[in-house]
Amino acid sequence: MKKIEITINGKKYPVNPASTIYEIVTEKGIDDIPTLCHEERLEPYGSCFVCVVEVEGQKKLLPSCSTRPREGMKIQTRSERVIRARKTALELLFSNHYADCIGPCTHNCPASVDAQTYIALISMGKHDEALQLVKKTNPFPLAIGRVCVRDCETVCRRCIIDEPVAINFLKRYVADADLKDMWSPDIPRGTGKSVAVIGGGPSGLTCAYYLRLQGHRVRVFEKLPELGGMFRYGIPEYRLPKDILDREIQWILNTGIEAECNRELGRDFTLDSLLKEQGFDAVYLAVGAQAGSSMRLEHEDDTGGIVRGVEFLRDCQIKGNPELSGTVIVVGGGNTAIDAARTALRCGADSVKLVYRRSIKEMPAHEAEVKAAREEGVEMHFLSNPKRLIREGDRLKAIECLKMELVDDEKGGRPRPVPIAGSEFTIECSLCISAIGQKVDTTFNDSPTRCDLESWGTLIVREDTFETSVKGVFAGGDAVLGPWTAVAAIGHGRRAAEAISGYLKTGRASKPPVRFYSFKHNLAEVTESELSHHQKIKREKMPELPLRERKENFDEVELGFSRQQAQKETLRCLECGCTEYHDCALRRYADEYQLDISNYVGEVRKYQVDNRHPFISLDANKCINCGRCIRTCSEMLKVSALGFVYRGFSAVARPAMENALMETNCISCGNCIDACPTGAITEKYPYKVVGTLPRENHASICNFCSLGCNLNYRKISDDIYYISNAQNEAVLRSHNQGYLCVKGRFGYRHLQELDRLLKPAIQREGKPRTVSMEEAVQHTQKRIRDLVEKYGPGSIGVFASPKLSNEELYLLNKLARRGIGTNRIHSFSNLLSGLHGDRVDRSIGMAVSTTDFDQMQESDVVVTFNTDFTEENHIIAQKIKSAGKRGARIIEINSNETKLTPFAHLWVDTKRGTNTVLFNGLVREVIRQKCHDPKVGDRIDNFPRLKEQVEEFDPAEVCRLCGVSREVYDEFIAQLVNREHRVTLVTNIDNLKEKAEHDLDAALNYLMLTGRVGQPHSGIIVLRDYSNSTGLMDMGVHPRYLPGYVTPEEKTEVDRIARLWEADLPAVFTGEEMTYDSIRENIRGALVFGENPFSHMESVRSLANVEFLMVCDVYSCESTEQAEVVLPMANHLEKTGSFTSAERRVQRKERMNEPRTGMDNLELINRIYSGFAPAYRGDLPAVILDEIRRVNRYYQEVRPGDIWGRDLFSAGHAPRVKKPAFALFPTSTRSFRQKDQSILLSEKYFVTKIKGKLML
Amino acid sequence: MKEIMIGLGTCGISAGGLEVMKTVKEAVKERNLEVEVKETGCMGNCYAEVLLEYFDGKDRFLYSRVTSEKARKIVEEHVLKGNPLRDSLISVGDVADQIDFFKNQERIVLKNCGRIDPTSIDEYLACDGYAAIRKVLGEYTPAQVVDIVKESGLRGRGGAGFPTGLKWQLALQAPGNKKYVICNADEGDPGAFMDRSVLEGNPHAVIEGMIIAAYAIGADEGYIYVRAEYPKAIERLRTALHDCTRKGFLGEGIFDTDFTFNLKIKEGAGAFVCGEETALMASIEGKRGMPRIRPPFPAQKGLWGKPTNINNVETLANVPFILLNGARAFNRFGTEKSAGTKVFALAGKVKHSGLAEVPMGITIHDIVFKIGGGIKQDKKFKAVQMGGPSGGCIPARMADLKIDYDELKKTGAIMGSGGMIVLDEDTCMVDLAKYFLTFTQNESCGKCTFCRIGTKRMLEILERICDGQGKESDMDLLEDLANQIITTSLCGLGQSAPNPVLTTLKYFRNEYEDHIIHKKCTAHSCPSLVTYTIDPDKCTGCTLCARKCPTDAITGDKKKPHVLDPSLCIKCGNCYDACNFDAVIRT
Repeated sequence: MKKIEITINGKKYPVNPASTIYEIVTEKGIDDIPTLCHEERLEPYGSCFVCVVEVEGQKKLLPSCSTRPREGMKIQTRSERVIRARKTALELLFSNHYADCIGPCTHNCPASVDAQTYIALISMGKHDEALQLVKKTNPFPLAIGRVCVRDCETVCRRCIIDEPVAINFLKRYVADADLKDMWSPDIPRGTGKSVAVIGGGPSGLTCAYYLRLQGHRVRVFEKLPELGGMFRYGIPEYRLPKDILDREIQWILNTGIEAECNRELGRDFTLDSLLKEQGFDAVYLAVGAQAGSSMRLEHEDDTGGIVRGVEFLRDCQIKGNPELSGTVIVVGGGNTAIDAARTALRCGADSVKLVYRRSIKEMPAHEAEVKAAREEGVEMHFLSNPKRLIREGDRLKAIECLKMELVDDEKGGRPRPVPIAGSEFTIECSLCISAIGQKVDTTFNDSPTRCDLESWGTLIVREDTFETSVKGVFAGGDAVLGPWTAVAAIGHGRRAAEAISGYLKTGRASKPPVRFYSFKHNLAEVTESELSHHQKIKREKMPELPLRERKENFDEVELGFSRQQAQKETLRCLECGCTEYHDCALRRYADEYQLDISNYVGEVRKYQVDNRHPFISLDANKCINCGRCIRTCSEMLKVSALGFVYRGFSAVARPAMENALMETNCISCGNCIDACPTGAITEKYPYKVVGTLPRENHASICNFCSLGCNLNYRKISDDIYYISNAQNEAVLRSHNQGYLCVKGRFGYRHLQELDRLLKPAIQREGKPRTVSMEEAVQHTQKRIRDLVEKYGPGSIGVFASPKLSNEELYLLNKLARRGIGTNRIHSFSNLLSGLHGDRVDRSIGMAVSTTDFDQMQESDVVVTFNTDFTEENHIIAQKIKSAGKRGARIIEINSNETKLTPFAHLWVDTKRGTNTVLFNGLVREVIRQKCHDPKVGDRIDNFPRLKEQVEEFDPAEVCRLCGVSREVYDEFIAQLVNREHRVTLVTNIDNLKEKAEHDLDAALNYLMLTGRVGQPHSGIIVLRDYSNSTGLMDMGVHPRYLPGYVTPEEKTEVDRIARLWEADLPAVFTGEEMTYDSIRENIRGALVFGENPFSHMESVRSLANVEFLMVCDVYSCESTEQAEVVLPMANHLEKTGSFTSAERRVQRKERMNEPRTGMDNLELINRIYSGFAPAYRGDLPAVILDEIRRVNRYYQEVRPGDIWGRDLFSAGHAPRVKKPAFALFPTSTRSFRQKDQSILLSEKYFVTKIKGKLML
Repeated sequence: MKEIMIGLGTCGISAGGLEVMKTVKEAVKERNLEVEVKETGCMGNCYAEVLLEYFDGKDRFLYSRVTSEKARKIVEEHVLKGNPLRDSLISVGDVADQIDFFKNQERIVLKNCGRIDPTSIDEYLACDGYAAIRKVLGEYTPAQVVDIVKESGLRGRGGAGFPTGLKWQLALQAPGNKKYVICNADEGDPGAFMDRSVLEGNPHAVIEGMIIAAYAIGADEGYIYVRAEYPKAIERLRTALHDCTRKGFLGEGIFDTDFTFNLKIKEGAGAFVCGEETALMASIEGKRGMPRIRPPFPAQKGLWGKPTNINNVETLANVPFILLNGARAFNRFGTEKSAGTKVFALAGKVKHSGLAEVPMGITIHDIVFKIGGGIKQDKKFKAVQMGGPSGGCIPARMADLKIDYDELKKTGAIMGSGGMIVLDEDTCMVDLAKYFLTFTQNESCGKCTFCRIGTKRMLEILERICDGQGKESDMDLLEDLANQIITTSLCGLGQSAPNPVLTTLKYFRNEYEDHIIHKKCTAHSCPSLVTYTIDPDKCTGCTLCARKCPTDAITGDKKKPHVLDPSLCIKCGNCYDACNFDAVIRT
């Protein structure tokens, strides 16, 4: 097409007028235009309007996804108007997106600890990962797990149902679990920079830790004798045992932090001396707020028996606990007051009375602490306030208090206490501890270089970078916040470390990225009714030291969760945060365009999450009406299970008629999940939401049917992954365009859900004994050798699954023929489907497709037979449907209605097993109407006999035998005798329900007769049930073939391979067929790889005379129970190898996980092989693939992704055959047999666990 | 032959026309009179329905507001005895000369409405019906037809005013053997009923227009997409299609030529957006009525992917006239760029509501006062709302504006399909904007972000302004959102939805300010901003207001001044309306 010239952002480009602006800009890499409703696979739609661009001279902004260029067009992709429109569009979408990006718990944590995710990890038993996640943002889980104020729990959505999840106890649980053998982080190489941290409390040590993780040198200066700050000197032993704290501090120091105690800023050194003399590159000030506030009573400072709470607690630590008696009054309502009161009680006070000027409701102390204090006997005097000290000499004797009442604060603050006149009362006491507040001790700042302070004494810093007024000096924690929480101090420490690290690297403090998160509570109140589907579950109770054991000692009161308790508690988590955190396009743009939705908060749609489908969750709250799911379902898959309902603001995508998905014509393919740019349609993962954990892409090939669909694993860890194709461009561009069927989408779960077989074993008399791999292999080799000696090599049978890789299959072939010297190599799956190699020898030469999917889609007529699209091969059904849309006539031959039937122009509803008759009838009509090459008899053998064979099948007879109406039959014939029509047949030769023995032969006779083999857009597609059924035959895992379909008659080829193999192949390679009977007769030793013959009667019987059985499988099964040697097999994810699909496409996949068995399958087979022939060395997948290329004549030129033998059938018949022949056979009207349960475990899993749940 | 014709358009029926018809038929039968009783469509003066016209063989007598009782009397006195009932008679002879409502009109589209029996193809044929198509098939090539329509200057009457001839030309030039014509009869604007009236009163004119259009572009199949809420129109269309097929005007080889045209009715399910042509086509195809991006335009890829021409009812009804009488006969009416006439649906606070067909270029003032007879109860004329929910408000001070496509567009309003709602001093302009926006918001198909959520947010702002919760920044926010919605919506619905808000903000900004800053609704229409009190000096203690109050907010002894408790008052205004002494004060 002729190019035109347009201008984008001031630069001229020649462009294709048929592409869209979006495509042009994206392909040329000019800009990253955001879009939500557009995806490459679908037609332009234009609804989200975030992809708008400005076109000069146009008042409107145009959606680039659906605008095509015109000559001379001038486009701006990032003008102010464009950015504003995109921002508004996103803000509007978020204003109606009733969903949480992350858990409110995580968001509300001052230290940003990802609570929801670590709870999920604990739930999965991943304690180490949970702990490491906590320590990513908080190095103090042991301490904070005991003393945190739990901002997370106050916003926990479970509060709306019953009580918050015990988030902090769970954190403590994983930290305690780690105590035995503490995990240590990797420290990178030194940066050469050093930082002084002033203050060894939570904030200082946190900052030090994260600076160390960046490779900086850190020295901590602490003015008190020991590190720990308020953790040590503010929190009593019974809440935070000091040996626990010591462990945690030591663990932090172990990263290589230097610490100096009893060293005070202002006294021992100054900021100047640190920066200029000692050569520190930066300073972090975390000096805390450790000075107690005054009650402002007369004689407060010169009366004995009055002490400030912080000092009291600190002295207990430094000087030891004092012995108290009499009544102790504690003034205040914060945590320090409660700590002081409970400590006083433990120091022997007869009674402890707490005086607080507001009511219990307003107390800042943690509720649980207050409760514990009251249980232990602390008396609480609420709405009371000290008025006057009553002294005896200069010692305190009693305190006179006033009763207070609360009045509403006009400014909306906490209610204000006001004294009630004349309500004085007196409490006698021996000691008064005043704990009414703390402030920063600012004496450190009395040096020439001073930091700016607020009037109330805290340090002034920049909010995002923690920089003080002095260059290179940063500050955080209580010194900035005033007396606040440990967790906030920790949060400051970490964020300051990031800022400082940036400063050290670039000279400028780095700022944290601006993030926008969607939260339900920002849009509307989250009500109880919308959470009503969650059961009420009681919060696990923290085991505590019995009350009577607490008095007069400082033993830890809270004893920690047991493993069971922790596990149970994790189940209470509602998993608010979104599973699609990383993949949500809306979220990505939200950060990029720095949104503020405050202008647009109004009504919001709320929906119950629809979880009725067993594997798909529909959360309409997250739907942005982009219609991608609907368009995918209707336009691409032609299913139309989803649609829009309602109008205006209420319009939303829903299943048809608002039914449950399962009640629509949904085929459970889950392609809507990939289509959804947000989390509105997601897979129901079999594990808890771990949305924020990073994930990797691994392209792979589906291991179910033979279509070879490409797919992408999203991997979070070795055992947490799922299939999601949207994130992998290569998969989206593969032949299946990233579309999958239910098997491909959800069948992978057997990999996660079934218990693996991991250890080799030798079984004698039913008793298994776990052995080493080496022993199992040696035992196998020995047993084979013995049997060969006794019965000859032909007594050994090797059986392989059609789901193994080409490399594995090839190597097994070599093990059998080159190693052991037996020709008995086969697959039980092929035996079961009755596939004999010789049947098609003289027509097309092998039971493979003569054409491919792309060619098929351009045919005029597509005929499917023996293929049940209700269950299998759905992706080819999609291709057939789109061929239909393009104008092809679709004819389906099937006894049952399938999912394709509604799209078929003609449904030939033959009786089961009568399709041979139908094709014979067709052949008869072709001959009768002379629609074939008149000289066909000269080219192809058996023509006269073919005529005889079909003679009896006149239309009346065919209609009678097949049970089809004359009208249907005539239409069928009319379509297929037409010489102009390019016809492709599609069949599944493993479908045992429909087929009779000679269906394929009869169909091939028709194709040969009409010259449609090897012609463009004509031919046959032979589908198989298993991912590498074609590869299995290609690799010669069949007694009749060597790799490359070499038959014994092809002497030169046999010799060529024999030379390559350095083997006496002619002696071994007899080509003798294998049947169940011949197996029973001949085989004494069987090696079974990846199949479960003991689940199938006829296979079991065929193994009746076997003396030695070795089974190698991924899972335990009937066959492994019977085997003498059991070998664990690496699964599909654990191997690198190539697979050949039904259209002869050779595709290669890489290993995603290391084999959990400890050994790669090729390595394992190679070990066995080494007992009989020289072993392979090197990178086995590569070495073997290379050898396959040399041995298999059809694979010589093939690169991964190619179709082998492109021109194989150009002669119109079998390659390398001098004269082809029509197949002659007795016509049967009996269907083959009902399908037995599959002998492959993954298929069995699919049938019971996936299909079963879907009621397919 | 003596005749009685009774107006049985939807307006006539809802005024009791069927009952009148029954009575007349009975009366005529009882007395064995030689009078033919027929039905007809609406003449346009809907305010005067039920209309009954008696033709005594010489003169036409038009009675208005006829009831069964009156009808019987007409038969007895006038038909039987020859004594016209003077007080119910509104005209004798040609109405156009007699009644102000008709005097200022020029009727092309409505010419036969209310004059002929729409169920009779013969009556249509009798007034030159199907003469145009005969002429076209006999004399013109498709290209010539297109040229004549182009020359006439006819523009689409559905709203946007796209030149019809040009549209036909594009469809004619589009390659392909299979083409469609569609008549868009999905009239959805609140207060608009021009199309309904034409379909009910003269369906054959539309069908003839469609056959001509089909011939002009080379289509052999057509659809009339009519909303299911127009049962009478559908019924008459069905009759008309049946008659046409019977006469050989539709089907294969029509009018004895080799031209084939088949026409079907498709009933719409009542979604406003289906008036948008791409949504309309999706709806015919059996899909959800949602607009799609253009290009490709329907003329290139329309129904089922084939070139398609879509015209509105009124546009098509003009076509036979133009082809029969020539372009000049048409464009001698109207202005230079807006030729011909336009039918307006006059509604609201005007005395004479109904349909008026006027030449383009007439002033708003003339329509409201000369045709409409001025404002009800002679209140103050405040504004007209033109063009339905996609249109805008034009204030009374601009009443001398000459109405044509381009002049209207300059004001921020649009011609639209021709709805004209007259507003008086009691109309709150903020509330009005809210009303129209509620309509468009509910009718948005929900596809585009700005239309779906943006209009919702605008509506919420209007709601809070009416509720007295508006903020000063709201006016800017409204304007900003409105302008963004206009520039970033796919179809006309979204692109025009903010118009009522923008025009009221432009011409009545003071009312917004009153609501937001002074917390006052000067039209006393927003309940939250109105307070009712009782003037003790005027109150006579008649207790009427107390009895009318639904919440017992008014108390007081008989013959003593009453008191209204504002905490109970729900501001329904019942007391205000009930008081005979002006003692209830509304502020």
